[in-house]
Amino acid sequence: MIDFFKYRKLSYMASSFLIVMTILFIFFKGLNLGIDFKGGFNVEVRSDLSNQELTNIFSRIDTSREVIVKKEISSNVYSVRIESGIDDKLFLDSLRESVSTLINIEILMSEYIEPTFSSNLIQNAIYALLSSIFVIALYIWIRFDWQFAFAGILALLHDVFISIGFMSIFNIEFNLTMIAAILLIAGYSINDTIVLFDRLRTLSSEEDVKINLPSMINKSIILNLRRTILTSFTTILALICLVILAPVNLTEMPIVFIFGVLIGTYSSIFLGLPMIHALNYESVLKSRDS
Amino acid sequence: MNILKKWRLWSTLLILVFCYFAIKPNFQNLESSNKINYGLDIQGGSSFLLELSEDVFKKNLLLKIVSQLELDYDLNSSINNGQIEIDNAQDLTKLTNIVMQSMGLTLNKKTESISIIEIESQFFKKSISDMTLNAVEIIRSRVDFLGNKELSIQKTGLNRILLEIPGSLNQNVKEIISKTAELNFHIEKNSYVDTILLENIETNESVRVMERPSLTGDYIQDASMQYDNNSPVVSFSLNKAGAEIFGDLTEKNVGKRFAIVLDGTLISAPVVRDTISGGAGVISGNFTNEEANNLAIILKSGSLPTDISIIQEKQVGPSLGKEGVTKGIYASIIALIAITIFMIAYYKVSGLFTAISIITCLLLLFSLMSLMNATLTLPGVIGIVLTIGMCVDANVLVYERIKENFLNKSDDPRNSGFNSAFITILDSNLTTVFAAIFLFAFGFGPIRGFSISLIIGIFSSLVVTYIILKLFLEIVPIEKTGLKIK
Repeated sequence: MIDFFKYRKLSYMASSFLIVMTILFIFFKGLNLGIDFKGGFNVEVRSDLSNQELTNIFSRIDTSREVIVKKEISSNVYSVRIESGIDDKLFLDSLRESVSTLINIEILMSEYIEPTFSSNLIQNAIYALLSSIFVIALYIWIRFDWQFAFAGILALLHDVFISIGFMSIFNIEFNLTMIAAILLIAGYSINDTIVLFDRLRTLSSEEDVKINLPSMINKSIILNLRRTILTSFTTILALICLVILAPVNLTEMPIVFIFGVLIGTYSSIFLGLPMIHALNYESVLKSRDS
Repeated sequence: MNILKKWRLWSTLLILVFCYFAIKPNFQNLESSNKINYGLDIQGGSSFLLELSEDVFKKNLLLKIVSQLELDYDLNSSINNGQIEIDNAQDLTKLTNIVMQSMGLTLNKKTESISIIEIESQFFKKSISDMTLNAVEIIRSRVDFLGNKELSIQKTGLNRILLEIPGSLNQNVKEIISKTAELNFHIEKNSYVDTILLENIETNESVRVMERPSLTGDYIQDASMQYDNNSPVVSFSLNKAGAEIFGDLTEKNVGKRFAIVLDGTLISAPVVRDTISGGAGVISGNFTNEEANNLAIILKSGSLPTDISIIQEKQVGPSLGKEGVTKGIYASIIALIAITIFMIAYYKVSGLFTAISIITCLLLLFSLMSLMNATLTLPGVIGIVLTIGMCVDANVLVYERIKENFLNKSDDPRNSGFNSAFITILDSNLTTVFAAIFLFAFGFGPIRGFSISLIIGIFSSLVVTYIILKLFLEIVPIEKTGLKIK
């Protein structure tokens, strides 16, 4: 039998390293913020032209605006992001008009978001994230114990934060859909953690003769190991299908989520459960026993 | 016979019948309200998020209060920094607390010389909210007149309006929704007291008029585009009260010019030649056909009580969404097949139960979405694929727990295994549902579409696991399920 608990110091170190890396990347490289959070224009076009040719075409419409063209994964679709400037309202119309005359570019979607509104969206997303984390914590506290709530939320934040770092490293556009992906990762992470917590709770109520939290933690992990691997595997299987076949502008979301599933699986085994020991849950068990 | 007594069997049949009838309307060409709607990102179309200016609304509200104070209470007041200042030297006795309350005002500060009054924040919020609801109707009627029938328009938040128009967009829509359409008639006055100079750059027409409008567009009953000497003009008719004011006005000012001003811009300033008593008039001003038609529409629909601006605009071509859905369906089918093959290889017969569970879970999900008239968006499709994952997870948890119980030689390994696994499933799924509910409540746009399908999906997965999966485990002899370990 593998002693998972033994590796906790190693995993604490690994996680700390990842968190530091994320901080460094976010600080120095930053996030590739989409127009949802920055305001501006986003145009999805289908075209056989090259990246450079498209950049030239879109820059010519208004030379004062910065244009970023990015090819979507495995297709001839490009996402063109143009920054917001003066007289945005007219710009969008002139953009659509001048592109519609070109035969080798087809506009699939065009979008404009006013910069002031996008700051509103960020606020909104943060409220959504915080409130759902709060509810999760409350639920775990009621159903389990505060140590579980604390460890669960910590594992969740760890997963969410490192996934954001992943997006920064690979320059994945951070937009509202990615917020949904982040929340999905939060949901998956907590789901995975709770399945293990539940096992620990059952074990601790059964084995009251000799309390040994580390061995109980290890047993919870090992008894659930097959389930953890199977579920992660099937979820990733479904996600790979999505990566290959997702709508062109949504391919990045399942990729981020695959990363989230991996990190979530890791954190529930190597962070969530050992944290309960670190939070001195053993004393709770002992006092309950005596 | 024993099997017939099982409630799970009857519930399963009931679920299947329910699914049949709930999904059916989606495939019929009926006008039914219980269908799944497709979001704009799927069917293609345009969406606009409009914001009504709070500042301008407040300014207008304050102006209204000032004139009300003057008319009803003989009080001279001024506006300063979003508050109203009244000189205490005047007779303030009529302005009691009750009067102030009825006007939605509260006393902020009273110094020796002045009283500072402000609009009560609760009242202001309600006024804005009512104004937005009113604006929704105005915008709806404007877009309706252009002939867009399937539009969806709703108030979101305090002062925002979300307008969604499926299909290809009439280019005039943007033009008419972003106009306040405040029409005013000002009479010419050659003096520098209380007057403003209006100019029309295109026609080089200019006229000095009284600052306060003599007639406003609120009295307009109907408007339409007509031709006058082959050039398009907008003819309008006023309601009875408006006609009286207009008649009176024209009678007194024959020979003077009167300026027609739309949203602060001078359109034209014709000379009053005669008394106009019928309350009908014509606005001419170098219009194109489209401009005249748009102007008629917005005059007919009424003016907005404040400035309006488009803060988000999205146009989705039909091919993107269609491609997205086709791909999404393929992805789901391939994921389903891949998972089924894997589960059958791993769990034998039980793997087949999983496949059936997933299919019924998806059926139930679509049924509930149809019944709730929910909107399916592309992020929603991703939520659905995730639901498949949740459903498989529930199956795996149950199977593994039953296997484990066989290994530990506990009594009734099948039922106790299912029950203990179900508690785990309930705990983990409910946490996700709670999070998703909050996401829905606070979220916006794609986040909402995603959380809706996730909430309904998890619910369906729970129901299917508790009823249908358990049914299989009960009626199929345990030796044949492939879960029994000797």
